[in-house]
Amino acid sequence: MTHSLRFRDALREAMIEEMDRDDRVFLMGEEVGHYQGAYKVSEGMLAKFGPRRVIDTPIAEAGFAGVGIGAAIVGLRPIVEFMTWNFSAVAFDQILNNAAKMRQMSGGQLDCPIVFRGPNASARQVGSQHSHAMEHFYAHVPGLKVVAPAFPDDAKGLLKSAIRDDNPVLVMESETLYGVKGDVPEGDVLVPLGKARIARQGTHVTIAAYSRMTHVALEAAALLESEGIAAEVIDLRSLRPLDENTLVASVERTHRLVVVHEGWPYGGVGAEVVDRVQRLAFDALAAPILRVATLDVPMPYSANLELACIPQPERVAAAVRRVVGEF
Amino acid sequence: MAKVLDMPKLSPTMEEGVLSAWHKNEGDEVAVDDLLAEVETDKATMEFRAFDKGTLLKILAKPGAQVKLGQPVAILGAPGEDISALVAQAAGPAFPPPSMPGARPPTPAAPAAQDAPAPARVPTDIRASGVVERRPGGGISPETIPPPETSAPPAQRDPPVGSVLERTAFPAPGFGDGGQAGPDAGGRVLASPYVRKVAREKGIDLQGAHGSGTGGRVLPTDLDTMSVQGASPLARIAPTAPPAGAAARAPLLEEAEVRALSPMRRTIAKRLTESKTTVPHFYLRIDVDVAELMKLRADINAELASPASAGRAANGGGAEAAKVSLNDLLIKACAIALVHVPECNASYSPDAILVHRRVDISVAVAIPDGLVTPVVRNADRKSVAAIASEVRDLAARARSRKLKPEEMSDGTFSISNLGMFGIDEFAAVINPPEGAILAVGQVRDVPVVFDGQVVPGKRLALTLSCDHRVVDGAIGAAFLAELKRLVEHPLRVLAG
Repeated sequence: MTHSLRFRDALREAMIEEMDRDDRVFLMGEEVGHYQGAYKVSEGMLAKFGPRRVIDTPIAEAGFAGVGIGAAIVGLRPIVEFMTWNFSAVAFDQILNNAAKMRQMSGGQLDCPIVFRGPNASARQVGSQHSHAMEHFYAHVPGLKVVAPAFPDDAKGLLKSAIRDDNPVLVMESETLYGVKGDVPEGDVLVPLGKARIARQGTHVTIAAYSRMTHVALEAAALLESEGIAAEVIDLRSLRPLDENTLVASVERTHRLVVVHEGWPYGGVGAEVVDRVQRLAFDALAAPILRVATLDVPMPYSANLELACIPQPERVAAAVRRVVGEF
Repeated sequence: MAKVLDMPKLSPTMEEGVLSAWHKNEGDEVAVDDLLAEVETDKATMEFRAFDKGTLLKILAKPGAQVKLGQPVAILGAPGEDISALVAQAAGPAFPPPSMPGARPPTPAAPAAQDAPAPARVPTDIRASGVVERRPGGGISPETIPPPETSAPPAQRDPPVGSVLERTAFPAPGFGDGGQAGPDAGGRVLASPYVRKVAREKGIDLQGAHGSGTGGRVLPTDLDTMSVQGASPLARIAPTAPPAGAAARAPLLEEAEVRALSPMRRTIAKRLTESKTTVPHFYLRIDVDVAELMKLRADINAELASPASAGRAANGGGAEAAKVSLNDLLIKACAIALVHVPECNASYSPDAILVHRRVDISVAVAIPDGLVTPVVRNADRKSVAAIASEVRDLAARARSRKLKPEEMSDGTFSISNLGMFGIDEFAAVINPPEGAILAVGQVRDVPVVFDGQVVPGKRLALTLSCDHRVVDGAIGAAFLAELKRLVEHPLRVLAG
């Protein structure tokens, strides 16, 4: 049985189910309680669980991220919401040096079962300081897990798995996806961390994407279909650990790969995907792997320039035409 | 405004065609729907008609040329129009693999043919991130940039728009020095890891290969047309030098005569390999007594040849039509047997078995350089005489390559007869997606025991090849038993 939910409602359903299931789970962050969530993800949760489990924090990310990590170390299972992942930059030290290192530095004596979540990457015209794709920074760090769902069912299933995982898990959402609707299975259905899904089947080329770029990739695939190119779209869902098996199996069928993500081209998740595929599927490749990423500049405020910077379906399609048409 | 005419898709399975003859000359006026040329496809010789009116300015594909789908064959426009840019474009590389006709990117003014004047060698910053080595004289190291005769004219070296991600070892057309490259000074062939792997598996030596991709890159689709020894698809008709090892072992062997693969030969190779490697064949053989059938055939033909019938035929379909062969009778007998055993009139698909409600019998017809299988539709509902005249017409048109593709597709069962060549019996390869094929040998005069006496008899060997995914042994046996019953009581063939 499924029901249709918006992305934000799917996230809320995951948190409520996990808080009902395990009283060690609690939510904290800016405006999560009385304001009902900056993006209404936590709407109604304060009334349901009370102020001991739905905690409004001051505007002090380094502080409340650290409080959450401390709580996790001593046995609770916090969900820490960043109003956007841009603001996690001031809490970076806590995540990098405490959350990610605690198990290793304690010789395995301490766990840090914490979830950090919030909207990531560009929204619409929020300027260069509020449009960062932060997953690239965090996926770099051993000791962290990073997921980036594109659809409501994955949002719910991955968040539930994240809350139950004994490691710090970072959930990258998107302001522009919160209103997206989709069928979500009813009941306690988990999506495992580290498994990609094939969002569309195709034979001529594989497009790997995640979060909002999965939707862009699907639009590109629809454009390409009218030109006779059947593109397979892989929604990575999980960025660390990365599901290299699904990627390699797909490229062994299509022989061509284009990777799409927000965030700058230098290094990052796309570069990681390219490295894995060229090593593990070298003999399957009929063309260089191309990446489509945000342009290598700070995000402009102007709406037209912003559109030109962020990968759009036509830019993805152009990259696909190159790897299909020329090689 | 002149335009390039590309090779059109003239049959559902066509991937390339041989331009057998032009019906217009350069300079001729062309009206919409005028016959431009004849094209030999994998199935038949097809008419290539004009979609637009204009003047045929230039013929790009000479008669006899083998042209892939979507490749340019001619230029149509107004008299006196300057078409030099279009000619150059048409002579340039064509990107899309033939299986993806829609995949052609907007073609920039691509490098002209090899004999175009060489542009001056200019230094470039396009690949400036350490890739291009500048020399003191301003030239470019031959190790990194191949000879200039295939490089793009300087006018197209616009700086790239877009991000660093658009650069590849092999530049995009219109992106800087697109179109150059080709085998480099060390003779390294341009081929991706995937192409090299497939070539290894197929035993194709890529040494010296020049593919259809930009700058001679060998594309995956090029491998389909490369011979096991040979390299260049362009050079495949010419005898290629044998590999060094082979030459050392057998220097005195005379070279084989090289005959180009016709589109039909390629299709036969592809489809029969697919059938024999993917369809689980098994074979059932039965000997049937055809004495009665032969007698009936003689009677029918004697009757048809009688003055009364001949007169009717002369008024109707012509005297030649009035003769029935053993094969015609067997087609009818098979059709009736298939109605009684419909499980033999079936096709396998990954999801379900398709049991056909129509009985459409493919008849293998040998023609010069191959064979085709025209289809007698609804053979169960036609008289033997109607089948006879239809088969005669189909066979005649098959030999003159005038069958339409739809007349050779969508059969439900095949019959192949080699009796006229003195073959006693044989087993045929199934014609997918059909579920079975009947192989018919020659009628043999044999001694048979009848009522304790050895008497002369006539026997015919029939071998049924079955797709075991559809037809099990018992089903195939039931079909053959029914066929035997019909053949040995041939009035049933006429009555059915």
